Amino acid sequence: MYDTKRVESIVGQDDIKISARKVQVYYGDKHAIKDVDVDILDKTVTAFIGPSGCGKSTFLRCINRMNDTIPIARIEGQIKLDGEDIYDKRVDPVQLRARVGMVFQKPNPFPKSIYDNVAYGARIHGLARNKAELDEIIEKSLRGAALWNEVKDRLNEPGTGLSGGQQQRLCIARAVATSPEVLLMDEPCSALDPIATGQVEELIDQLRQEFSVVIVTHSMQQAARVSQKTAFFHLGNLVEYGDTDDIFTKPRDTRTEAYISGRIG
Amino acid sequence: MTDATAHNAPAAAPARPKSLLTQDARTKRRNAAEKRFRTYGAVAICLAIAALVMLLTSVLGNGASSFFQTYAKIEVTLDPEVLDPKGNRDPAEMSKITTIGYGNLMKQAFPASLQAAGVSTEGVPEKEIGDMLSKEAPAQLRNRVLNNPDLLGETISFWALANGRIDGYLKDRVTMTSAERDGNVSPEQLQLADRMMEADLLEKRFNWDFITFPDASELRPEAAGLGVAIIGSAYMMLIVLFLALPIGVAASIYLEEFAPQNRLTDLIEVNISNLAAVPSIVFGILGLAVFINYAGLPASAPIVGGLVLTLMTLPTIIISTRAALKAVPPSIRDAALGVGASKMQSVFHHVLPLAMPGILTGTILGLAQALGETAPLLLIGMVAFVRDYPSWPVDGLFEPASALPVQVYNFTTRGDPAFVERASGAIIVLLVFLLCMNLLAIYLRRKFERRW
Repeated sequence: MYDTKRVESIVGQDDIKISARKVQVYYGDKHAIKDVDVDILDKTVTAFIGPSGCGKSTFLRCINRMNDTIPIARIEGQIKLDGEDIYDKRVDPVQLRARVGMVFQKPNPFPKSIYDNVAYGARIHGLARNKAELDEIIEKSLRGAALWNEVKDRLNEPGTGLSGGQQQRLCIARAVATSPEVLLMDEPCSALDPIATGQVEELIDQLRQEFSVVIVTHSMQQAARVSQKTAFFHLGNLVEYGDTDDIFTKPRDTRTEAYISGRIG
Repeated sequence: MTDATAHNAPAAAPARPKSLLTQDARTKRRNAAEKRFRTYGAVAICLAIAALVMLLTSVLGNGASSFFQTYAKIEVTLDPEVLDPKGNRDPAEMSKITTIGYGNLMKQAFPASLQAAGVSTEGVPEKEIGDMLSKEAPAQLRNRVLNNPDLLGETISFWALANGRIDGYLKDRVTMTSAERDGNVSPEQLQLADRMMEADLLEKRFNWDFITFPDASELRPEAAGLGVAIIGSAYMMLIVLFLALPIGVAASIYLEEFAPQNRLTDLIEVNISNLAAVPSIVFGILGLAVFINYAGLPASAPIVGGLVLTLMTLPTIIISTRAALKAVPPSIRDAALGVGASKMQSVFHHVLPLAMPGILTGTILGLAQALGETAPLLLIGMVAFVRDYPSWPVDGLFEPASALPVQVYNFTTRGDPAFVERASGAIIVLLVFLLCMNLLAIYLRRKFERRW
């Protein structure tokens, strides 16, 4: 089992954005996440790695309460965002999700125009008072997602008409437009070709300037390329968490070593 | 070593043919099976098409003629002495003269106008000449005069509705031989009809009255129309649309998107599915017991028919709407929730618009089913003989009316063979309505379907 004291030794208390303590997730009878403790830092890219079914996506979806939509899912323990428990009864998950945005595995733009896709979040949260402000948000978000130059002349065309990589960047722009503090990415590149993957990875590195980014990935190379911190999950346990460089060069746990050297997974 | 080889190649395995150009027995069997299956499919399609063609030919063959009706031309002098005894041209006063007064006028004018046109009436008694006109014809003339009192005193040439038997003669339903055995028509009358046709005094004309007129009694099939039935059906469809669509869609959205998954919702789901399979006549009994006997709504009224059909259509709409909602990819819901939309925003902004084509198609199919439904309407009194047009909604919804499918049933229960044509004609009108609704469904689906 992972040692909590070690987490605190790695990070200073000040820049912790999200802290999870003794998180358990059950899907019906299945104990999917067991006793996970982790601290996620602000303005840092944290990668969750591990073999399929190890619970990394499940844990990610706990951070913005997307698991609430699954009737059989049950969550115990504590996850704090800026020191506030997000599973407190008084917390409205909708408000939480405005601060903790999410990008999904498969690009899922709305069947609307590129403009409306990005504008949606800003509109429902009332972030713009007029058209000019909204236009500004759209441009900023699309620039932030490195998509502006490709789509600026066709903002009224359907978002679903873009290529896979562009769609995923559109989804990132959509998430960025609501000015979240944390951006959760669930295998954002698994449906993309290598060139699009490269673009998205570059983008993730830029996003780190403004947000805390948590990315679930199957690709250890990707984790090594984009992240500063890495957490290794195995069978619902958080086996090891630390600086990415350390995890990949001198893993402490034998399971981590076995996974990164390709023996389990 | 030899043992291992023998083990790897079982003796039973058939030899693979050396060349790709020859087919082995297995491939041949497989191909034959596929060919057989395709033939079955083609035969099934052909049978279905043949059935459809037979239905349409039968209905069109029998019913097309009901859109044409035989009229006789009469020169009639509108005698003010008879039609407006007080001489003040007041329509209220004039309406005191009933159709009998006009009938006598026509009976005198008809033989005279025949002779004036040089058609010999020899061998046909004067009464029989008068009988060649429909009993509805005096009413036609009366309406025309009441609408335009200035015609009084003038001699007008008037196309009067001919009797059903004469109409039948022009449509080959009545022949000389059948007329000999028929108490209502004589061969002499038919010969006179022949002579009138030669003189262009008798002809078939397009019959708008079939669509606009109310039903007529058993004795005058030539005047029977669908006006009241069409209005009644239209009112019921309005009620079904305005009740079943919102209730059905709201119920589906709640069940599909918001309801917790438990035994109660499972039970509700099963019951909705079962409700779709309940025989429609059961809904009729329910309507009779609840809406008429308990709630005290008037019998024969479109409001009751509409409510009963709403109950019948709801399961269809709920089932198709839920299927449409289910077909919206979950990734869209995730995307909406992921940017901080509430459950309701995700449903109304994203899921519902995407499900719209499916919902509309289901609704219109449900409406089409309701339009053709007869059995429950019989039980709530829509089978009554209604001559008066219902007024505009909302009042009209509570006044007696008929319905198209019930009118078809009504026509078929009557003795005069002329009603067979009327029934088929009513079916054509019903089919045209259904066709229009289906076209509307296709149009709406195209309109709302976003290919992206």
